[in-house]
Amino acid sequence: MVPPLRTLAALLAVALTAGCAAYAPPQPWEKQYLALPAMQFDADRLDVKNVQHVYYSKEGAAGGYGVGGGGCGCN
Amino acid sequence: MAATERGALLAAALALPGVTAAPGAAAQGAPDAAFVQFKYLDYRDWQPGGRRMRVDNPGFYAVKPLSDTLAIEGSIVYDGMSGASPLYFNALSGASGEGVRDYRTAGDVKLTKWFDRFAIGAGAAYSHERDYISRAGTLELRTWTEDRNRTYAFAFSGAADRIHTESGAAERERKYVLDFLAGVTQAVNETLIVQSNLTYSRGHGYFDDPYKLFDRRPDRRRVLAWLTRANQHFPERNGTLKVAYRYLDDSFGADSHMVEAVWHQALPGGWSVTPSLRYLTQKAAWFFRGPPIGSGLRPGEPYTADARLSAFGAFTPGIVVARDFGDGWVADVKVEFYRQKASWRAGGGGTEGLLPFSARWIQVGVGRSF
Repeated sequence: MVPPLRTLAALLAVALTAGCAAYAPPQPWEKQYLALPAMQFDADRLDVKNVQHVYYSKEGAAGGYGVGGGGCGCN
Repeated sequence: MAATERGALLAAALALPGVTAAPGAAAQGAPDAAFVQFKYLDYRDWQPGGRRMRVDNPGFYAVKPLSDTLAIEGSIVYDGMSGASPLYFNALSGASGEGVRDYRTAGDVKLTKWFDRFAIGAGAAYSHERDYISRAGTLELRTWTEDRNRTYAFAFSGAADRIHTESGAAERERKYVLDFLAGVTQAVNETLIVQSNLTYSRGHGYFDDPYKLFDRRPDRRRVLAWLTRANQHFPERNGTLKVAYRYLDDSFGADSHMVEAVWHQALPGGWSVTPSLRYLTQKAAWFFRGPPIGSGLRPGEPYTADARLSAFGAFTPGIVVARDFGDGWVADVKVEFYRQKASWRAGGGGTEGLLPFSARWIQVGVGRSF
């Protein structure tokens, strides 16, 4: 496996393992950290559109991030 | 609690793919403030021996609450493309290498209505190029648990594309694609949120690239993608680790694994810095043939020499520097570098004879909520 890939896989495993080990859904008054902009998924719509469009046009296939938006002649 | 903080809180508890967006936009309720954003993307790519394609891409996004339970959002982007598409095994074909100038104008709009325990959305998208027109419609349903810690998302999209080239290589060809999404987002604890999405795409029609020599692809394609993401905040460091993994199963055979890690570090004065690293490893499509171009070509059978359907690995290191000015204004600069090499495919087996492909993009953005 490519070394940086090992690092990324390890980070992913650690994060998911930590999550499983600490399952304690927060109360409404415990969500201040979840409210941080950095904790949002796809918070920056234009950035997501632009970057996913680049990958869509340079790699074999795309998916996972949502539906819609239509096709283009770039792939 | 400030209105924007409440909105962000709701968004955090929901955080849906391609649905929630701007700071302050709330996924479990209409956004409490309007938000407008402008970004300019400068994209360049190159291969050994010279520059290839340049794209200048200004884009505009806006979301506006129409009432306490209704909001409209939309975006417009323009791509101005010039240069030459990547060389495919050093053989020029169609537009590749000969220099092209094209443009793409795309826009989308979506209306979302919120109820107590669910929200529904409907949207439309349109994309126009000289030789390619795409029209799409989307329907979404989101529902959440009473404690708002878990959200389920379901979405459906249909697209109808028309391909017509001036050269006559493709005349009034059609492609139809249906996309489905099922996803769940869970607030695991005070500092961890996880999301997992399955998307399934099923299309039929014209999938060839009319600008590539001998290119002939199957007229049906299905793509299944499983994306799982986790955001872990570390209060003591005032930083957030964001990791993602995606497995993609493609009926063309270009299956891939993608992993990504992002570290968001908040800094004093509203500044933040966000380095990131993405890696993708991909199989070649079953009808992909390596160099020299035309080798392995059998009359009547699918064939492509498109390097995007080859076997390779790709890394994208990047960094974002952003600032929240505190009065509704935000600004950011993003720089990412992309490199694709056959030898970087995990486990080996990358397509031999391909030139490495590199790209970089710089994106400057400014936004304001009011």
